[in-house]
Amino acid sequence: MSTGERLVIVGGGMAAARLVELLLARDHTGTITVLSDEQYPPYNRILLSAVLDGTHRIESLPLHGAAWYADRGVDLRLGVRVVGLDRERREVQVADGDPVPYDRLVLATGLVPTLPPMRGLLDAEGRLDDRVHAFRDLDDCRRLLDAVPHARRAAVVGGGLLGLQVARGLAARGVEVEIVEGADHLMRHQLDAAAGRILVRDLRRLGTEVYCNARAVRLTDEGVVLDNGYLLEVDLVVITAGGRPSVALARAAGLAVGRGVVVDDRLTTDDPRIHALGDCAEHDGRTPGFVSPAWEQAEVLADVLCGVAAARYEGSRIVARLRARDLEVAVLGDPEHTEGERVEVSNPLTRSHRTLVMREGRIVAAALVGDLSRVGLITQHFDRGTRLAPQEAGLLLLGDPAPAADLAAALGDSAEVCACAGVSAGEIRACASLDDVVRCTRATTGCGGCAPTVRQLLAGRALEGKGVTR
Amino acid sequence: MTRTHCPYCSLQCGMALERVGRTLEVQAWPEFPVNEGALCRKGWTATGLRGHRERLTTPLLRGADGEFRPADWEEALDHVASRLRSLRTAHGNDAVAVFGGGGLTNEKAYQLGKFARVALGTSQIDYNGRWCMSSAASAGNRVFGVDRGLPFPLADLERADVVVLVGSNLAETMPPAARHLDRLRERGGRVVVLDPRRTPTAERADLFLQPVPGTDLAVALGVLHLLDAADALDDAYLAERVEGFDAVLRSVASWWPERVERVSGVPVAELRALADLLASSPRVMVLTARGAEQHAQGTDTVLAWINIALGLGMVGRDAAGYGCLTGQGNGQGGREHGQKADQLPGYRMIDDPAARAHVAGVWGVEPDTLPGKGRSAYELLDALGTSEGPKAMLVFGSNIVVSAPNATRIGERLDALDLLVVCDLVLSETAARADVVLPVTQWAEETGTMTNLEGRVLLRRQAVAPPDGVRSDLEVLAGLAERLDAPVPFSVDPAEIFAELGRASAGGVADYAGITYERIEAEHGVFWPCPAPAHPGTPRLFADGFPTPSGRARAQVVAHRGPAEPVDDDFPVHLTTGRVLAQYQSGAQTRRIRALPDDGVFVEMHPMLAARIGAVDGAPVVVRTRRGELKAPARVVATVRPDTVFVPFHWVGANRLTHDALDPSSRMPEFKVCAAAVSA
Repeated sequence: MSTGERLVIVGGGMAAARLVELLLARDHTGTITVLSDEQYPPYNRILLSAVLDGTHRIESLPLHGAAWYADRGVDLRLGVRVVGLDRERREVQVADGDPVPYDRLVLATGLVPTLPPMRGLLDAEGRLDDRVHAFRDLDDCRRLLDAVPHARRAAVVGGGLLGLQVARGLAARGVEVEIVEGADHLMRHQLDAAAGRILVRDLRRLGTEVYCNARAVRLTDEGVVLDNGYLLEVDLVVITAGGRPSVALARAAGLAVGRGVVVDDRLTTDDPRIHALGDCAEHDGRTPGFVSPAWEQAEVLADVLCGVAAARYEGSRIVARLRARDLEVAVLGDPEHTEGERVEVSNPLTRSHRTLVMREGRIVAAALVGDLSRVGLITQHFDRGTRLAPQEAGLLLLGDPAPAADLAAALGDSAEVCACAGVSAGEIRACASLDDVVRCTRATTGCGGCAPTVRQLLAGRALEGKGVTR
Repeated sequence: MTRTHCPYCSLQCGMALERVGRTLEVQAWPEFPVNEGALCRKGWTATGLRGHRERLTTPLLRGADGEFRPADWEEALDHVASRLRSLRTAHGNDAVAVFGGGGLTNEKAYQLGKFARVALGTSQIDYNGRWCMSSAASAGNRVFGVDRGLPFPLADLERADVVVLVGSNLAETMPPAARHLDRLRERGGRVVVLDPRRTPTAERADLFLQPVPGTDLAVALGVLHLLDAADALDDAYLAERVEGFDAVLRSVASWWPERVERVSGVPVAELRALADLLASSPRVMVLTARGAEQHAQGTDTVLAWINIALGLGMVGRDAAGYGCLTGQGNGQGGREHGQKADQLPGYRMIDDPAARAHVAGVWGVEPDTLPGKGRSAYELLDALGTSEGPKAMLVFGSNIVVSAPNATRIGERLDALDLLVVCDLVLSETAARADVVLPVTQWAEETGTMTNLEGRVLLRRQAVAPPDGVRSDLEVLAGLAERLDAPVPFSVDPAEIFAELGRASAGGVADYAGITYERIEAEHGVFWPCPAPAHPGTPRLFADGFPTPSGRARAQVVAHRGPAEPVDDDFPVHLTTGRVLAQYQSGAQTRRIRALPDDGVFVEMHPMLAARIGAVDGAPVVVRTRRGELKAPARVVATVRPDTVFVPFHWVGANRLTHDALDPSSRMPEFKVCAAAVSA
């Protein structure tokens, strides 16, 4: 990009923040303006549920303060609502202000929460009922935290990743929670029915009721009415029914729009001056909707904007981790829609169900529920495309066998007991006492780590002397 | 009986040497506080090199036929001096390089730096300590304004509540130090170990984290993130004693635990367990070693762990804080007195005019005659024999052929020299490639001081006379200086040199001016800084402030980049390197001691990886990287990560594989991780 070009970024979420960081790191030469409709400088949106469950204090959410942007010459404008694009004049139109001219434009407008078709959500003026909350941004989070002390029971509408996190967060704050999910199991986009059923059992055990195959159809003064006729008597409703890429601006400006704003491998729309990334962008038919792909896109787009001709986005591997107390879930890739051989280990007794989807020896997707003991290694193999031997997938799911009983008696006479002094079990057995050991072999006198084994060996020797066989 | 210290690692265990008939026996010295009489088998067998049949006792000159022939000292030194003279005339002073070692005494390290700058007038001097703890040194200087491995005595470990060992296998590399961990645990304290291998040290841990090699930095960012999220940081301490911490906190905001898990392979639950333990402990001590430091991001990794110690308000608190467990015997002192390309004695910087004036005054030369900053160790070796680089090199206390990274390349550079001179006790792999080999004295045959990992200056007294025909490194330097018409004389008396070192270091960061041999013996060592005879020395630093312009610690923002060479389809496993208990460094000494088992090089791998490639325990496998290959027996153990192989570096081989990416600040090579392929 040549000196002096004006870059305007619409949106102030995590994708936009990352892009700005990367542009600065690459010594981007033009001006950067960020138009955010929120009141806050970019913050860690994905940790809002951790704020809700009390493990993350709200003061630690910001990624950078406003001064950080100002010090680096980035014009961060908060509370700005973008209402239109004029591609001819190359201007962004904003509510209550002058148009913002651009040479390059980046759309990072994110998602808009989906409202389920539920009567009574909105009042006559089109405002959400006071009891109803979304959980998308910091204001939503603050508003929900304010409401929690006055709430006794809550319904969470939508049993996906976010719904479960919110449900557990509310429970951590002493609210009784019920989850309503339209599909036949929880996390239906990521998990199969068996895994989803384990989550239902887990939640019930934790005191949260779950209604699957149920739709919330109406909000009344009494609570939420389900399509099966149940009435959930709640004083709080959190809508976590997913979201849609925010494409209204792009569509109105005549850009190609599918589910999201359509971009090519250079993250460029059909207008060469306009790019999109993150939750609002559709690449190769997909709108992943997680932070890590958005950040990988930011790396590519920062290169593109700094004139790196070879920069290409080739899709992302996604690892989704449920961030909720006492629920163990990791989803790697898209296990429900990925072709391959499925290796499964299910143990209802431990409430665990784990699936690896293998293709040509590689883990191409996985769903781990209830047992994350090997999640670190499985994720490494998945991310790196490691080619495994046929037996490894099973070993990864079965875990390590219990270590053999570590009895000193099992040590052969030639086994080394003291590494510091190089002393074998036989040499220890030849000694009469610990003093004898120290004097004759120097075992135990270096790091001291062999002392317990030496004591056991000496004790075993004493038993032998009394005619007890080893 | 002579009280001295072990010839090997930075613990510098106290020991007594006694002549019994014709042999020299090692005995315990229980009064010395660091090891209280304990030794590992390397210490107990340390006299095994005495009278060894491979000991060199005559200089060797390589003849026109390419073979060594014995020479007398006059001939050898005359030959070296005349070659150096003609190379300097033809190519300038920087045509001659000097390469030192972290095992040399303070006197030798000091004299070597002086010899390079004054007798040779070359800027081209560095040493193998660059490959040891330089990343921690660089980090310490940036944050605290001083680099002393441990800013407290080692025994303080016992009084902490939690000790976090990042990339240290001290139970094998310095076994007597592990006693402090055991006492800590007997007191109810906790030990945390981070290592890609479940080592004997990890067996002692209450919490063991097993990150992917090269990701300790990400783990630190994630732990600080959790501590901040839980409001567990010491805000009052940070406000009073630390600069720049707000920026650090913003930089870790995006390192949530699930992201760290994905990068490091450490499950979220373990990250949270560590953060919870740190948050609830009044005294936390964080110690790094080579596992954290020997990376192209080694300095940043140390900085990230220092940030945790600062954030918790631990640095300067009693029995808490941050420290580096130095590796080589005189790793600490070796870097303080002028062996480093950018430093003068007393930890002064060579580009500081005041430092130059002071040191030149002590040396009796004009400040303008001192050369400037030279190349760092790997860069120096990499330049040897090139058109821009040195044409001759003198090596003291280092076995480069075994210990340099990307060793095949470095071997080629050594062969490209017009003159390679190596001083050693035995015909090491490096000496075997030299043009001139000079046989020198070893440990028990000479007197000198060492500075251990605590910054405690110790005295090794001569216990026996050297064999006929060998000279001390100090005599070699003096002999060459004289033949090169050095402007000032070079002493061969350690005590005299130590006194001069004291004057040269006076007023510097590492100030030895008040230390004498007599004080060291009377006080079981003296901690620097010790600026005057009446000064008690400084066992503990930072209680009242930091030696920075503001008196506050300067916290640094760091970012995780990951290994310089990520694994891929062709090289799918991580390779890491390290030590085994019975060997030390390049093994030039320990491999020749019969009482120490020499099992040779091996390739440690997990049973899952072994099964994948069809490897059998004890049968040979081949490890390949983009730089070389190694064939060695597999050692199949469940204690190493299944995606990582470990190769010990005491034998020729491991470093043919390792990567030469350098840390931008410390110039430390990336010994601890590269991409490899393994096949049976």
